[in-house]
Amino acid sequence: MKAYIAKKLLALPLILIGVSLLVFVAIRALPGDPARLMAGPEATQEAVDNMTRRLGLDRSLPEQYASFAYGAVRGDLGISIKSKLPVIDEIAERLPFTLGLAITAYLLAVGIGVPAGMIAAIYRHGWPDQVVMILAIAGASIANFWLALMAMNTFSVQLGWLPLLGASSWKSFILPSVTLAVLPTAVIARMTRSSMIEVMSQDYIRTAYAKGVAPQTIYWSHALRNALIPIITIVGLNFGSLVGGAVVTESVFNWPGIGRFLVDAVRYRDYPVIQGVTLVAVTGVVVMNLLAELLIAVLNPKIRFD
Amino acid sequence: MTMFLKNRRFVLASAVAGGLVFPISASAATLNVMQTEAPRSMDPGDQTATYTAALLDPMYEGLLKRDPDLSLKPALATEWSSDAAGLVWTFKLRPGVKFHDGTPFDADVVVKNFARHLDTKRGLAASGRLRTFLEGVTAVDPMTVQFKLKSQYPAFLALLTTGPCLMVSPAAETAGTIGSKAVGTGPYKLAEYKSGEYVLQTKNGEWWGGAPKGEDEIKWTWTPEPSVMNMALQTGDADVVNPFPAAFAQQLKANPDMTLSTTDGSAVFWVSLNTKMKPLDDVRVRQALNYATDREGIVKAFMQGFAKPANSPLAPVTPGYDKSLAPYSYDVEKAKQLLKEAGYPDGFSMSTIVQEQESRIGELLQAMWAKAGVKLDVRKMEGGVWSKAAFLDPAGKEKDGIGSSIASWSSGVNGADLQFRPLYYSKSASPAGANLGFFSDPKLDELIDKAASTLDEKARNAIYVDAQKLVNEQAPHVLLFTKQDLFATRASVKGTWVIPGGLIVVKEARK
Repeated sequence: MKAYIAKKLLALPLILIGVSLLVFVAIRALPGDPARLMAGPEATQEAVDNMTRRLGLDRSLPEQYASFAYGAVRGDLGISIKSKLPVIDEIAERLPFTLGLAITAYLLAVGIGVPAGMIAAIYRHGWPDQVVMILAIAGASIANFWLALMAMNTFSVQLGWLPLLGASSWKSFILPSVTLAVLPTAVIARMTRSSMIEVMSQDYIRTAYAKGVAPQTIYWSHALRNALIPIITIVGLNFGSLVGGAVVTESVFNWPGIGRFLVDAVRYRDYPVIQGVTLVAVTGVVVMNLLAELLIAVLNPKIRFD
Repeated sequence: MTMFLKNRRFVLASAVAGGLVFPISASAATLNVMQTEAPRSMDPGDQTATYTAALLDPMYEGLLKRDPDLSLKPALATEWSSDAAGLVWTFKLRPGVKFHDGTPFDADVVVKNFARHLDTKRGLAASGRLRTFLEGVTAVDPMTVQFKLKSQYPAFLALLTTGPCLMVSPAAETAGTIGSKAVGTGPYKLAEYKSGEYVLQTKNGEWWGGAPKGEDEIKWTWTPEPSVMNMALQTGDADVVNPFPAAFAQQLKANPDMTLSTTDGSAVFWVSLNTKMKPLDDVRVRQALNYATDREGIVKAFMQGFAKPANSPLAPVTPGYDKSLAPYSYDVEKAKQLLKEAGYPDGFSMSTIVQEQESRIGELLQAMWAKAGVKLDVRKMEGGVWSKAAFLDPAGKEKDGIGSSIASWSSGVNGADLQFRPLYYSKSASPAGANLGFFSDPKLDELIDKAASTLDEKARNAIYVDAQKLVNEQAPHVLLFTKQDLFATRASVKGTWVIPGGLIVVKEARK
């Protein structure tokens, strides 16, 4: 197991190199020139050329990548084209806000999604099942963006209960994290339901009933523990889409996290920022997936890693 | 592997630390201003964006300033004069002025400020305008400077109130920090710049003009989302919203808690036609498109009425604008007839490129021009992609089949030259400038040059009337409308005003 973790961690640098190369090439393949965008529409070609040189974009691509990679290894992700501040500092300032939002959203999603899915499975085809599934389908289909605007209008503008924008107090966390939690909650509820239904039809569950074990004990210790494996897999894999959701949610709520930072950076083709934020996000996704795998091994000793 | 763990510990530690430090919450003495975009720089000379200029305005000053009635008044210069030819200008500087970092303001500072724009190696974003006409700046004595111009330039004094001519501290400039840490001489100084969140400005107690008249603090935030701007004003998160989205303006007018300000703006919207491409190289075809355009309809549908149909390449607030011009009525029959004369009785197909937020204009034109038999292919693009496509050279546009580009241009109240030269002068053909359709007319070039060096205002404006007529007749653009400047405040806010083009001035506002 230790060897497995070590192997996975050793693969992380390789993944990061691969992703950084991909991002590096992809953003430069996008039409749009940071020098032109920074210099503004009235800039002459000469001014644009000067700007290109100032930003170091006149160097060859391998040269640019080498200098980016060399810096990144030493914890230096370059200087933001737009704010002129070091990208690593900019990310360090924003990352806590995104982590706070993501963790709250995930706790909500698991805390609501798993029990909801269990109820649906236990009362399969009954009205609780139908209510949960209708909500889950709605939650999985609703546009994050639209939901955020509706929630803001209702709870901040009309009722005045919660702050509209920014991250000024604990109350500020409520609307963005609930909005962000909707999609993973729906996915987790549906996964829990189908996983539970499958487990509940197993022989050992029938045996447990037969020998008179209380239904509550059967649900929570016999069934859920075995049903958890696909649920955890889904939770781990969904971290990536949570990051994607954070990009939208943070933008709407003026949340000072790395998601909004990324959107602004793409608009100005701020290459160092796009590269830096992507690296951090990818690291997060890889780590989350690894944690999910380890948790599965703990829960089910039958699973072995080689 | 130990390396990795260390890093993770660092991330977690900063997560905890960062979570505890919440930004200063707004108090009653803070004026909250919300705009559509984040500042592009803290250096006024390294940006050309209106909303960045508005944010920097309380912190920086030029030799001259604009008053609410738009007249030019002394600021860091107390008096000025020029030689008879208008080529050498002498300015007496205001004594006793200090930058926010303590650096004294004198002639040497002015020389350094302009030298950085004349240095071709620097590549500051706003240098271009100055370099076209400014030869050099020298110190006559410690409190007197002299400007030498390459040629006469009527908008010279007006330009001294704008970005590249605002004085930045030479100490901060040398240290290379001016782009992220503003240091000017204005009534407000930078307290905090959180690039992801806000800019906070506090009163400058040592301002030469005495105690600043505005609120104790000004806090700037931004969002690109129109409905969020509207909601922020409703909840009081914002006291001032600039620009206010037209889509919510009618609704806001009915609300007694808010005030909507609508004034004539300077942004002219147009479709630039690719005059190097068939059939748009034929002036009759370009005129036909102008006749086929229902400007009133676009103003109603796209701007909710908060705009004026364009009758000239200049905005009504631009000196030299002629309101009597009425070149194109909405006349589909006339359009069809012109197309027939040009050899296209059954119409033709062309394309246009447009940024997402203005794509509705493209759709409206598509429907209008279809009535004259013109099939318009509207290509919506994200801003950066659009700007790359719009500034292609003739060969590039031919290859991608780009027949036209929808855009706008605003030269504020700084003179007609800043509208004519970048958009219609032959040497400004893209990629060199914003003449996106490669329009070239020696007669117009001559008029533009002649007007630029005519110091007498009346004579100059007469030349600009000729230039407007020529542009209208040759129709390199389908001119659409001039946008009004909309901003909104909570009803209690007094003392905000806007320089045409959207530059809001809040340094004397009270709430």
